[in-house]
Amino acid sequence: MNETMSCGSNRKSGPGIFWRFFSSVKLTIVLLIILAVVSVIGTVIPQREASIDFAMGMDPRLFQIFMSLDLFDIYHSLLFRIIIGFLVMNLVVCSIDRFPVTWKLFSHIPSPDKSRVFEGISGEQTCILSGNNKIILDRIERFLRKRYGRVFSKKGDSYSSFFVQTGRFSRFGVYLVHLSILLILAGALAGSLFGFEGYVKIIEGDKTDKILTRGNRQQKKLGFDIRCDKFTVSYYKNGMPKEYKSELTFIVNGKEVEKGTLLVNHPLYFRGITFYQASYGTIPGKKILLRALANGKSFSFYVSLKDHVHLPDNGAELHLEDIRENIAGIGPAALISILPKHGNRVSFWIFKNPGLAKSRLPEPMLKSSKFNPSAFRPYTFFLEGVNTVCYTGLQVSKDPGVPIVWAGCIILVTGLFVTFFISHRRIWVRAENHKGGIRLSVAGMANKDPAGLHRYLLKLVNNIRKYV
Amino acid sequence: MQSGPFLCVLRTRDSRVMTSSMILSYVTFVYFTGFILYLLMMVMGKKAFGTAATLVSLAGLVAHSIGIVLRWTESYRLGIGHAPLSNLYESLIFFSWAVTFFYLVVEWRTKNRVIGTFVIPISFLALAYASFSPSVNSRIQPLVPALKSNWLIAHVITCFFSYAAFALSFGLSIIYLVKLKNVNTGRTSPFLNRIPDCRLLDELNYQMVIIGFLMLTLGIVTGSVWAHSAWGTYWGWDPKETWSLITWLIYASVIHVRVARGWEGKRTAVLCIVGFACVLFTYFGVNYLAGLHSYAKS
Repeated sequence: MNETMSCGSNRKSGPGIFWRFFSSVKLTIVLLIILAVVSVIGTVIPQREASIDFAMGMDPRLFQIFMSLDLFDIYHSLLFRIIIGFLVMNLVVCSIDRFPVTWKLFSHIPSPDKSRVFEGISGEQTCILSGNNKIILDRIERFLRKRYGRVFSKKGDSYSSFFVQTGRFSRFGVYLVHLSILLILAGALAGSLFGFEGYVKIIEGDKTDKILTRGNRQQKKLGFDIRCDKFTVSYYKNGMPKEYKSELTFIVNGKEVEKGTLLVNHPLYFRGITFYQASYGTIPGKKILLRALANGKSFSFYVSLKDHVHLPDNGAELHLEDIRENIAGIGPAALISILPKHGNRVSFWIFKNPGLAKSRLPEPMLKSSKFNPSAFRPYTFFLEGVNTVCYTGLQVSKDPGVPIVWAGCIILVTGLFVTFFISHRRIWVRAENHKGGIRLSVAGMANKDPAGLHRYLLKLVNNIRKYV
Repeated sequence: MQSGPFLCVLRTRDSRVMTSSMILSYVTFVYFTGFILYLLMMVMGKKAFGTAATLVSLAGLVAHSIGIVLRWTESYRLGIGHAPLSNLYESLIFFSWAVTFFYLVVEWRTKNRVIGTFVIPISFLALAYASFSPSVNSRIQPLVPALKSNWLIAHVITCFFSYAAFALSFGLSIIYLVKLKNVNTGRTSPFLNRIPDCRLLDELNYQMVIIGFLMLTLGIVTGSVWAHSAWGTYWGWDPKETWSLITWLIYASVIHVRVARGWEGKRTAVLCIVGFACVLFTYFGVNYLAGLHSYAKS
């Protein structure tokens, strides 16, 4: 026998329109589907950082529409928050609306003598127990008490009735699930209000106390220094990366407080902030190797950033102003400026790959002295090399909402399990006087899994028989 | 991914370790035979075909399991040593295994073979795609740093159990709609008459949905815990994450449809079909969008 779930929509004593709207399960279904559809949009349109390239190629009017609807950051948009807000209202109102019914189902004890449930039960649900009636009845009751705790009974002349139940707490499983959703959302909210997410690149050997936050791209001070002592990548024999490893030291007020090894999947924690191995790479260091060709003779020399060397012959000062890893897809380039003993300063870019520069740069640029490696006569300069240094890219985050989210997840899974797989089984046992013994019948009702209930009842009949 | 000499080295090494892949590609044909037998049972109405279909599918499942275990041991022999759940090939193999396994459990519990006609082809197709598509790489490869986590096994197994349960729900929903149309129009044929009645199908479908939903929830939660330690955030709106959430929302609506009176039956079946389309998109389609789950592509 199966009972249908109560839906709560049959309240008669005039709830307001607001209440009726938010207590509807149909609203839940519609909201879940809307939320799904809106989420799809966010996977089709590039979001946040990824949207920049996409947005640049768009029609300006369309771009305006997208911007006003927040389509480039849809999961943080007002629209998305409104839908979630509606869902939360729906969930809370539904829970309150249905609570009295659930509570009644949980706490109500039906009469032990209920003949309706015995109508049309199968023959396997009954058995004959022979012996002294009084002893048998006693044994039945003792069995039920041992198995179910509380036994409700009603003794009569021709027959006795018992009522027991199991799994009634499962009626609240669905409340656990809904509570967990609220907890997870609360955790997410706490994270976005009191936490931050950022990124930092640290060159091997360097230290920093600032990170770049995500979203508003601002510098944020951590209040302590992180130093990257060493960064290593190891590879498998086939060339696939095996491990990225950063050796970090945390320094507070100039004192080394903690050292740690950071691996992918093994974050480090320091003062409530978590550090993750996110990326790595090389960036130009602070030194280049230049070759100068003049009057058929060439010579090479190193020069450091913000430093200068004296050119032989005429004694002009060569300053290294800037080093770039990659300009316009042409590759490494350096900006040098030369200050002759007499005359004006000349500054120009030198490319590591002048051939590529010639084919990539537009004509007017090539003609200008800014990009001419021979702009300072009689020399022609070549960029022979840029020394590179390794950096480790760390994801840095602080999220006080995480424990709340985990608690929500545990409750969610528990709640789902209880809701789906534990049923409230109400069982009636009837013991009728029968010639030379007792005729035992067992019937039951459950809020789910009728087939499981039937198997359960058959097993129960068997167990009582064995016990008696 | 590799060039020149590397590729050659791997190829020669591969020739020694192909036993598992070979077994798995034979299983594809076993499942195909199973499917044909289920179909014959439906069309001809002979019980013998059904029994044969079950036996063939079961034999396929046993060989399939051996193939997976063999691949696992082979990876240890290569010195790589990880559970075979790390790339598209391995996930397809496991998905197909889970679908067959779930189906045979359902067949055993319900004593009904009709569903096999609609579900065993899913196992067959997944395995055929894994074994014969040139874009799916069957090499055993070591784990990249991001995948080196204890959460890998828990995450992948729960996700693919949910996908398998949803695949069964998809099969059941298709049968439900076919049967409903047949009931409504009053047209009958031996094929249609062998389909169990709508109420049973709906009930069975719901069972699959709740198993799938619980597994998907576990999959998303384990994924979140993992992402939290690997990427620094438990939820980053990566396309695969988002699509798993979309799938979750659709099945959540299926579950609520059962509570709302008058909306059950046909709506459930349609939503389950949409839900399975979302599962497929989460599994394959997302690879066409940029994201962090790139190791599942090849």
